Amino acid sequence: MGRSQLTSLLKFDLREAFDSVAFTVYDWFFFGFQFFIYGEILSKLVITLPNYLFYYGTGLLILMSFNVASWSGRRFVESAHEGRLRYLLSLPITRGEMFLEQLLIGVIINLTRVLPPLVVILLLSGLYTPYTLALSLVVLTLCTIGIMGLMVSLSVIAFKSFDIYSAIVASLSAILIRFSTVNYPISSMPSGYADASLSNPVTYGADLLRAAVGINTSVLLDPAFAATVVIALCIGTVFLGMFFLSTVVEGVKSS
Amino acid sequence: MPVAKQSFDITSSEISEQKEEEFAVISTELSKDYGKKRALNRLNLKIDKGQILVLLGPNGSGKTTFLHLISTVLKPTEGTALVMGYDIRREPLKVRQVSAISFQDPRGFWRHKPAQILSFHASMYGVSGEERKRKVEETLKDFELWESRSTKFMHLSGGQSKRLEVAKLFVHRPKLAIFDEPTTMVDLDGKRMMWDKIRQLKEEGSTVIVATNEVREAEYLADKITILANGEHLVTDSLERLKDSVKGGDIVDLEFALPIEDNLLKLVQNIQGTAESKLVSESRLRIRVNRSEDWLPIMTDKMHEVGSNRITSIKVAEPSLDDVFLEYTEKTA
Repeated sequence: MGRSQLTSLLKFDLREAFDSVAFTVYDWFFFGFQFFIYGEILSKLVITLPNYLFYYGTGLLILMSFNVASWSGRRFVESAHEGRLRYLLSLPITRGEMFLEQLLIGVIINLTRVLPPLVVILLLSGLYTPYTLALSLVVLTLCTIGIMGLMVSLSVIAFKSFDIYSAIVASLSAILIRFSTVNYPISSMPSGYADASLSNPVTYGADLLRAAVGINTSVLLDPAFAATVVIALCIGTVFLGMFFLSTVVEGVKSS
Repeated sequence: MPVAKQSFDITSSEISEQKEEEFAVISTELSKDYGKKRALNRLNLKIDKGQILVLLGPNGSGKTTFLHLISTVLKPTEGTALVMGYDIRREPLKVRQVSAISFQDPRGFWRHKPAQILSFHASMYGVSGEERKRKVEETLKDFELWESRSTKFMHLSGGQSKRLEVAKLFVHRPKLAIFDEPTTMVDLDGKRMMWDKIRQLKEEGSTVIVATNEVREAEYLADKITILANGEHLVTDSLERLKDSVKGGDIVDLEFALPIEDNLLKLVQNIQGTAESKLVSESRLRIRVNRSEDWLPIMTDKMHEVGSNRITSIKVAEPSLDDVFLEYTEKTA
């Protein structure tokens, strides 16, 4: 009975998530403007890194995935405050399945949003093959799951207050994106920045994606090590999220 | 709380003879804290299978907390409960498979439509295919939601969204159906319809728990009533016995043929079960008694023995559930 319930819940939530396509379209516009205008101009200014436009474009995909993952955590906190979570908690489904469903929703939404921009980057860079497309999607999925596990875990910690969650996520995104290779490679960073970035899993996700696409491979971290870090992040945060969901989460007291 | 204790003890001794499997819910020392505030304090309660138990209590008495605990939405701070034989701490999934809750305030589905919400709810409880379609349609019609089946939840009126919240439990008919204030925001016709549906649910074999602070709802639905106040369990009993438990709750108006003399007044005051007597007029007496059905035969025998003044009229009024509610809750205030 568990799998059919998971499917029912997934369908129910997807219907709601795709009821409005405004955010998806906004994300595509965001990518288009950033890539074709801002990225194009930047790539002319950046002379030490060839093909910076595509380096920047893949960084944007990581940023978009990061945003979807943050949104998933926020959605979880919102669901607690709107009374939806208590309903989900009363349904005959395990907390683990509930967490898995949250992850699947995030992954599906993220793939919908990043697929067209990814195809654009692959086609324009001349690196499109079914293999690079599939590999890039796998990397983006792993990154989304890893960050989403972290965000849902954080949402559980900051459960009682939506403001606390928003403040934590805003600070965290500022730090994780700036101290990473989302916008610039390790080789261009001052040593303090580089050390901080090397301890940030987002760095490994961004470099792994570029390795999968085949862009600027000379300035990237070792893909095998990056893949290990990203997979470890996924496993770690998923277990953390599951742990919090099954031991800590309960319906927020009605006001 | 002497009255509360006395009445609960009667119930306890009776139910102790029943077997565990005859109860839908057995809570043992069930407690819940929200931070430093204790919302439910060591609740021991047994709910018979196949009955409607009404939880009555003022706001903040712990009704909703209790319902959320037994539906595994909240985790207990101390104690536990068995729901249809499953422990809420150790077997929460099984508890959720045999029970379902209709929440006090329907929220959280903004973009979905009533038909989708009911269909989803049914699917989560294993109702599939044509049967699901049929039950969803039938329930939408029963709850007067058919016309608005394709209206987004956020555009439903308060009464419609409340009816939808209650209707969820009718698409799969759980063994234990839990309703938290099912008819708030609903008009009078709607209330009556929903009460009848809840009764029907019981007749079809479900055990039903209804939390309310509406006395009329309790009177209409209850096989047994539990009164909670400040997170404490005050009493559980049938409506009739709760009314009987109110000391001096029955009001007897006696009209005599002749003016009432002192010796007659004293005689009435000395009858066992008389709580208070008052001359309303020179030939009319109002007496508060514990149980009028015990008191009246004794009184008529005594009058017959005295024989000096003839009773021309006897009127008896029972206490209302309001009186019972106030009797118990005021003691804890």
